[in-house]
Amino acid sequence: MKRRDFLKAGTAGLAGAITGSTGMLTWSPRARAATITKTLYITDGFINQIDGTSVYFRGYSNSSGTLDVPGESMIVQEGDTVEITLVNTLATEHNFVIDGMADSGVVGAFSSRTFSFTAGNPGTYMFYDNANGVYNQLLGLHGGFAVMPQNSSNELYPGSRTFVQQQFWLFHDIDPAWNDRLRQGLTPNTAYVPRYFTLNGLGGRPPGAPGNADPNVNSMIDPRSALHGSIGDRTLVRILNAGLAAQSVHVHGNHMEWLTENGQIRPDVWEKDCLYLDGNRGILDMIYPYDVPPDSWPPATHGEYPMHLHSEMSQTAAGGYYLFGAITDIFFE
Amino acid sequence: MKLNTKKRLQRPVYAMGMGGGGGGGMGGACFIYDNNLQANNTLVTPDVVFQRSIDMNIPLTMDDGRTVNMWGFSDGGGGGMGGATFPSAAMRVTQGQIVHSILSVNMMWAHTIHHHGIEPGWESDGVGHLTWDVRGTSFTYQWRPMHAGTYFYHCHTNTVLHAEMGMYGALIVDPPEGPGTLYENGPTYDVEAFWVVDEIDSSWHTLPWSAGTCGADVGLNDLNPDYFVITGVDGSGSSAFGAAAISPVVQVGQKLLARYICAGYHPQRIDFGGLTGTVYMSDGRPLPNPVQATELRAHSAERYDVIFAPTEPGEYIISTDIIHWVSGEVLGTTHAKVTVVA
Ligand SMILES: [Cu+2]
Ligand SMILES: [Cu+2]
Repeated sequence: MKRRDFLKAGTAGLAGAITGSTGMLTWSPRARAATITKTLYITDGFINQIDGTSVYFRGYSNSSGTLDVPGESMIVQEGDTVEITLVNTLATEHNFVIDGMADSGVVGAFSSRTFSFTAGNPGTYMFYDNANGVYNQLLGLHGGFAVMPQNSSNELYPGSRTFVQQQFWLFHDIDPAWNDRLRQGLTPNTAYVPRYFTLNGLGGRPPGAPGNADPNVNSMIDPRSALHGSIGDRTLVRILNAGLAAQSVHVHGNHMEWLTENGQIRPDVWEKDCLYLDGNRGILDMIYPYDVPPDSWPPATHGEYPMHLHSEMSQTAAGGYYLFGAITDIFFE
Repeated sequence: MKLNTKKRLQRPVYAMGMGGGGGGGMGGACFIYDNNLQANNTLVTPDVVFQRSIDMNIPLTMDDGRTVNMWGFSDGGGGGMGGATFPSAAMRVTQGQIVHSILSVNMMWAHTIHHHGIEPGWESDGVGHLTWDVRGTSFTYQWRPMHAGTYFYHCHTNTVLHAEMGMYGALIVDPPEGPGTLYENGPTYDVEAFWVVDEIDSSWHTLPWSAGTCGADVGLNDLNPDYFVITGVDGSGSSAFGAAAISPVVQVGQKLLARYICAGYHPQRIDFGGLTGTVYMSDGRPLPNPVQATELRAHSAERYDVIFAPTEPGEYIISTDIIHWVSGEVLGTTHAKVTVVA
């Protein structure tokens, strides 16, 4: 069992305050609520795509000198006080909202603001910027946010099916023509046609491609995205869609236990190999059970399988480049 | 039998990256892993064998008189060409059988078979970049389906193009009771229909098998369908009304099982035309509590198994809207018909 991401900040959890820096702002069960502090720098820049195109983005970054798209995911506990300092390094207005939980108010150009909120119902959320309709979200101002139940390390919500490790799959799609208009302060004036598709900010780099061995480049092996486990290592995956395209999330090797849809607990847990993920902030939770692949003969305990979107246009980049889109690997170890 | 439980992944040597085919050229092929092919060393004596080869020239005539070229799997081996239908010939097996799917491909192109929803060992999963593509040889996939239900098989090489071109067929796993029962100790049915709804962008249907793989912009990010098909028939009008497997006749008192497969890439909404069905399964698994439905939404590769027990004679039009993945606009609609007689 790999608990590395899950318990990274384990002992820090008993302190009164937890400060996220460059590491994942993570979580372990605590007897009492804490105050979580985090500074997010709103920055911009260009990210090179596989075809050489340089695309403009904005992000909630961990320092004023980086561009983090998506923003680093956060896991807190129900009842925690979350204190966010937004440092807006740009000439445009921005904000930070979590539907039903947090709203920074507008942070003006080149200014900053500290605000706090109480972590509400356990579950999976997106933090994003709606200061200019959907545009800032599309430019990259989004990230995953999770609230764990009090005193529980293995449930999505009190009484849910249990897991031993958890991670985020945050999908995005990008129309570079829109990003370029927005960079210039203009409103997009063409139909939205996504041309790049990412998982936690990266696309696939299949064997033989530049960056194939680099987890900072290749979504197939990015530790934020790829699943690693042995039989029984039930893995909660919090699935979010910051893009506008509805996607079909498909895994090989096992069926998924489908727990929630857009913040609602499903009345029954269905076992599915594809899940319908709404565009524009659709959210799902599922557990990948890491059972022996049921149809293997002889029974398999090791192997490497894909997660890919079955809305297959999302598997491309720049109109071709199959396998360079939103895809990762599932390792049975 | 020796179980292969300790086997480690052997990462093959990837010989083919950029180049080879000439990066960007329409004739080139990149990130195709046929050179990695290893013999499947898990094979045991099968209970069932399916032979499949490749047909890249399947004319499909639409209601407007136009012919669109489809690709598919022929029912038979030898790497020969021709003879396939759209969709490809179904595979139908019984839960617990050991099955071999033998894919034969000539030197002209690469393909695989992925049995969607079936979860075999990784070497039998048919995912090109994680194992190998098949080209100029044959390969045997081994699987032992343990859950009855509705699946489909499709190619997983340059998948965005190959599945859109029609390289898929139904895969049905019957429970031990055999056809007529949906899953082990599950509900029974008397009549069976297949609603496999797909959209076609005819501008993709003149592309070569490796289109876009070396980086050429061939528009595979943007599927703009102009034809809408149900189980291989133009569904925009009434052309599917005469096909019994799509538009069945059911007597009052009989139970109709519809196996609905969302085979396209855009979301769909299927409306049962005034009938109420009971959804018993999705994606090859029974629902803990079946649900009543007059319509369903689905996205790419989802399956729903719905049983109807109609009580009123009449004609019921089953319409499925294909909905743009970004705009939500209805792009087209397919139609089937259920005729209920006294
Ligand atoms: Cu193929
Ligand atoms: Cu599939």
